[in-house]
Amino acid sequence: MKAASAPSYRMPEPAFTLRTTVSYIEKKRKRRVAKEIVTGCCGCCNALRPRYKRLVDNIFPVNPQDGLVKSNMEKLTFYSLSSPEKLDRIGEYFYQKASRDIYRRRHGFVIIAMEAMDQLLVACHAQTLNLFVESYLKMVQKLLESTEPKLQILATQSFVKFANIEEDTPSYHRRYDFFVSKFSAMCHSNEDRPYMRNQIRLAGIQGLEAVVRKTVSDDLVENIWEPVHMDKIVPSLLFNMQESGFHMKEVGSVEAAPEDELDPPTLAESCLRELVGKASFGHIKAVLKPVLRHFDLHELWCPNQFAVHTFRIIIFSIQAQYSYTVVESLMAHLDENSKSSPEIRTSIADVLSKIIAIAAGESVGPSVLEIINSLLCHLRDSVKNGINQAEEKQYQDALINALGEFANHLPDYQKIEIMMFIMSKIPFPPKVNQTPADNLLQSILLKSLLKVGTKYQTIHFNTTFPVSFLEPLLRMSLAPDPEMRLLVQKILHTLIDRHNNLEKLSKATVLVSDLDLVLEKSSRPDLIFINKHGPVIYDALYTSLQIETNSVENIEAIYTTVSLLCVELASAEVVIDIIQLLLGIQNLAITNTSLSASQAYNLHVLVISVFELICVVFDLPSLQKYANKIIAARRKQDHFLLPEMLSHYPDNHYPNPKEPFVYLEQTAICDILREDGLDPSRLSQTSPYGAGGPGAIAGTSQRHSWSETNARGSVVDIGTTQDVDSESSSPGVQKKLPEEKLTFEHMKRVLTEPPEARKEAEAEKREELNNFFRTATLAEIMQRTKPKHEDLQTKLQEIFKSLSSSEVHRSPTHQKKVEQEIPVYEQNFPEMFAY
Amino acid sequence: MEDYKFLFKVVLVGNAGVGKTCLVRRFTQGLFPPGQGATIGVDFMIKTVEVDGEKVKLQIWDTAGQERFRSITQSYYRSAHALILVYDISCQPTFDCLPDWLREIEEYASSKVLRILVGNKIDREDREIPVHVGEDFASRHNMYFLETSAKEADNVEKLFMKIAEDLMQQARSKDLLRYDKDTANITGKTSVITDSNCCSRLT
Repeated sequence: MKAASAPSYRMPEPAFTLRTTVSYIEKKRKRRVAKEIVTGCCGCCNALRPRYKRLVDNIFPVNPQDGLVKSNMEKLTFYSLSSPEKLDRIGEYFYQKASRDIYRRRHGFVIIAMEAMDQLLVACHAQTLNLFVESYLKMVQKLLESTEPKLQILATQSFVKFANIEEDTPSYHRRYDFFVSKFSAMCHSNEDRPYMRNQIRLAGIQGLEAVVRKTVSDDLVENIWEPVHMDKIVPSLLFNMQESGFHMKEVGSVEAAPEDELDPPTLAESCLRELVGKASFGHIKAVLKPVLRHFDLHELWCPNQFAVHTFRIIIFSIQAQYSYTVVESLMAHLDENSKSSPEIRTSIADVLSKIIAIAAGESVGPSVLEIINSLLCHLRDSVKNGINQAEEKQYQDALINALGEFANHLPDYQKIEIMMFIMSKIPFPPKVNQTPADNLLQSILLKSLLKVGTKYQTIHFNTTFPVSFLEPLLRMSLAPDPEMRLLVQKILHTLIDRHNNLEKLSKATVLVSDLDLVLEKSSRPDLIFINKHGPVIYDALYTSLQIETNSVENIEAIYTTVSLLCVELASAEVVIDIIQLLLGIQNLAITNTSLSASQAYNLHVLVISVFELICVVFDLPSLQKYANKIIAARRKQDHFLLPEMLSHYPDNHYPNPKEPFVYLEQTAICDILREDGLDPSRLSQTSPYGAGGPGAIAGTSQRHSWSETNARGSVVDIGTTQDVDSESSSPGVQKKLPEEKLTFEHMKRVLTEPPEARKEAEAEKREELNNFFRTATLAEIMQRTKPKHEDLQTKLQEIFKSLSSSEVHRSPTHQKKVEQEIPVYEQNFPEMFAY
Repeated sequence: MEDYKFLFKVVLVGNAGVGKTCLVRRFTQGLFPPGQGATIGVDFMIKTVEVDGEKVKLQIWDTAGQERFRSITQSYYRSAHALILVYDISCQPTFDCLPDWLREIEEYASSKVLRILVGNKIDREDREIPVHVGEDFASRHNMYFLETSAKEADNVEKLFMKIAEDLMQQARSKDLLRYDKDTANITGKTSVITDSNCCSRLT
């Protein structure tokens, strides 16, 4: 095709002979003249053309199949290295040639031209590269613009090579938006032939990767993180990833995928990893936004395997210190989707729960609470939205799950913080007109608390139960809703249990030695803790047992709590305290007429089970003998008094309070304890539950209800630690408090009164009340009880409030106020509740 | 030879199945692809036309109408010089969606973008949207209006030529949309070279 006989036309212009001597500018002028002449005479002579053109022309073979003429290519390379100022012209010439070849569909020559340009690019020195790059990129663009897939792929490959070259001079004016646009379009190739389509898409991804690589390291070139680019790049990658069933496979094989360059999804994935890995804090949002958008539009949330897969990739690739921004973004997305169907929200929350753990390790400070708070807010919104929908419930579960996962990976001290934080979010005390939604919210928050609690491993009780956490928790344990009470007990279980005895103690039993309990001597800080807070805890448990809506589960849960306390906090003082508590409970079961038969039975079962447990755990042989005697007696006379706890007992069956030898007796226990070398003096004194044994009065006991003990607790708090220990370890704590003297005196008086007279009075009162309940209508009873009840509640509320404020200020004036209020509260306590 | 003085980016939008891809194919390749499948993401075509003796290169981005590709297609609006909003004259819903499309254009495209409303498929017998309704809509929203048939090649050429002319006028008056000043210079220079070169090749 080419004019091979060029030499015969040589030197029609003398200027060419002087070529080596004339200056560069002159040369240029002459060349123009030469060109004109050539054009004019249709000269067709290569020799007249500038040297670089000849060199370029020479690299092309006659037949494109022969490929690049290697030796001539070397000449061209040498030339361009020795006179780099010609590079721009060489590039331009190449571009012209290639454009024409594309137009004429002579693709063979185009490929050769591209190859040559690649070689020149690599050979060029960095400083001079800029001159060449402009025309080079134009060439690549030209190829990409063609409809021929082969050329597009070729151009991409060349571009990838180009991207790997490090330039040291910035190119302010170079723009890549066409490349981003075109490569993105290629990622979505519509090609009919599957193989070709795959190849084009692959090329598109490679191209995008190259653009990112080229631009990301250089701040001076185009900012690839602009949304205009990211909105193209990210969806293109995701689109290719979702096309494969790869993510459907079990996770864990994520890394195992072979580096198979021929697979668009895999390549897209690794490209996404690279992209995310390079994103700095300011840019990460630009990546995440299109991701979320893509999932919305392609409806990929549900089912969410792909979303989980993708977000795992993101969170694993992202620079660790930014990982919480991913969580944040997902959370924000959840906000935006608050109106979408519960399924979608559940899926998003599920994704969140699957990645949150990875982020948790890196989160610090306020971001943690922010995340927790946001999760709790979502829970609250969800509760408000719909109450009884199954989907909504799933959503809540997913959120709670996420919360648990998150907490699981936080350091322990933060878990406590979180538990306290959740606690502070629980609305309490229950409102007067509590709606089901409020109830639900409370129980859901408790559930999340439980979730966090199960992830927490208690070491010292005083760190696990700071007063500000313990108090509200115990208060919740008296909530009107039995399920909520159950939840609170479960929270207590998981926090108290340190030796995995929970399973073993979940069911009441007298065969304690079979349980194979793990025991460990409790440490001094623990003992200080239980001395300090024991009374409050026992009292809460005791009061909780009085509630009439208790089911077997409730009572059994309390059994577990008491047992766990026994096991975890084995000490002489604890033994006495717990026996005291047991006697109180037994008394409650005997005297409290408002309890059902099954509840009474359950209480008795609880008492004997724990009693037996104490004997075994503390190794008290004499006491165990006594316990065995009682068990034997019960087995003979009324086996329902032994485990297990049932929810229904045969009709007309009620524990007989007159039965001898079946119940624990205070005096007997005192004697036996002395035998075992324990000091039972505290036991023989009046118990805080008012019921030292079956014979004691129940009348005043209820007044020592838990708020009083609570008050005492806060008083104790103010004192120094030493003081606290000696104070609370002695049973007569109340004596030291001037306000409580009155009660004590009163009790003493009651005690010294002849028992017959008292019993008569008691019976009379009981009769009266029974009569009232029998004769009066429900409304009347309601009227009589309800206002007082509410009064009590508001009063309680007040007291709690002032209590907490006094704790904050720790000022003696507040202290006084609290104490003054207690008698008021006592006066308001409805008489009826005593029974 | 295809060297150009101006480069314009044209983006086609509209509901799925209104014939955007067919319009582009008809214009760039002169064919009507029967049984054209739904476009995935974005497709790209190029065509150089001559207006007043000047070469004008049109970069045509043919977007998918499907909702799920909305995020990627929207990202192409921004750099567009002209947006062709297509509806199907035999399908009322595609017309009803126009306000939504306009809202999207407002949001994502440049405010100066040239907007053209196109009612496609006029070859079909079952017309649902009369010409004047389309015209009204276009004039109300300050758009050009044209009815086309990709199948019969009616008005397709005219559509793109009109766009090229308009954009060129705009570019000339403001000289803002000029693709690259260098391009023009290089073009002038190289065209001479090319001529000589092509001669040498012919011999």
